[in-house]
Amino acid sequence: MIRPIGIALATAAAILATSALAKYLQSADVLDAETGRRMVQVVVGLALAVWGNYMPKRFGAGGANACASSRAYSAVRVGGWSMTLAGLIRAGLWAFAPVPVADVVGMLVVLTALLVTLSYGTWALSRCRPRPRKNASA
Amino acid sequence: MGQVFKALADPTRRRVLELLRAGPMSAGELSAHFPVSKPTMSAHFSVLREAGLVESAKAGKSVTYHLNLSVLEDALLGFAQTFGLGTVGRARPAKVSPMLRKATAR
Repeated sequence: MIRPIGIALATAAAILATSALAKYLQSADVLDAETGRRMVQVVVGLALAVWGNYMPKRFGAGGANACASSRAYSAVRVGGWSMTLAGLIRAGLWAFAPVPVADVVGMLVVLTALLVTLSYGTWALSRCRPRPRKNASA
Repeated sequence: MGQVFKALADPTRRRVLELLRAGPMSAGELSAHFPVSKPTMSAHFSVLREAGLVESAKAGKSVTYHLNLSVLEDALLGFAQTFGLGTVGRARPAKVSPMLRKATAR
């Protein structure tokens, strides 16, 4: 089983190695600046997809009770799916779309995924709050 | 990854994962949904656990299972469910006891 720290280190190493390679290839006049930038951004998108893929495994289904546990799992599941899809879309945009489009739309896609994750997580977990008793003051 | 494919190839194990989507369940609660013996269910649980698709927590005498799927494994489960992979020996709904059948027939 792959540990979360292993995934984080592998994705960080991939991003650093790609940017170093792109820099080297640019200095050797093999790549132009735009292609180098695209290369790095594609790897960043794929790293986000990999991280999103393992998100449900990483956070698991911890919770004080059955409701909180199942809601927590559904929240990280939605988060994982949205982050994975956002990462793949971002990588695809940086691979094939014009740079200004990839720059803006890629960022918007990731922000939307983040918003979906946070809003769904908040909504899901708020549904498990214990209701106040009616006769609490009596 | 081979263990994941092996675990997802069986309809009973896929049904267990579907049931766990609703929330954590004990081994007894899960077994009640299947017309198979407890040792058979225990074998299914251990295959799922070894593949890393479920996690178990012991609480007293009972063992509680909860899902532990990555997005890719989740997508594979959906794919296997949609295309009915390994349909030989498909899990059947739990048998209704004769007493219950009599009561509902009235």
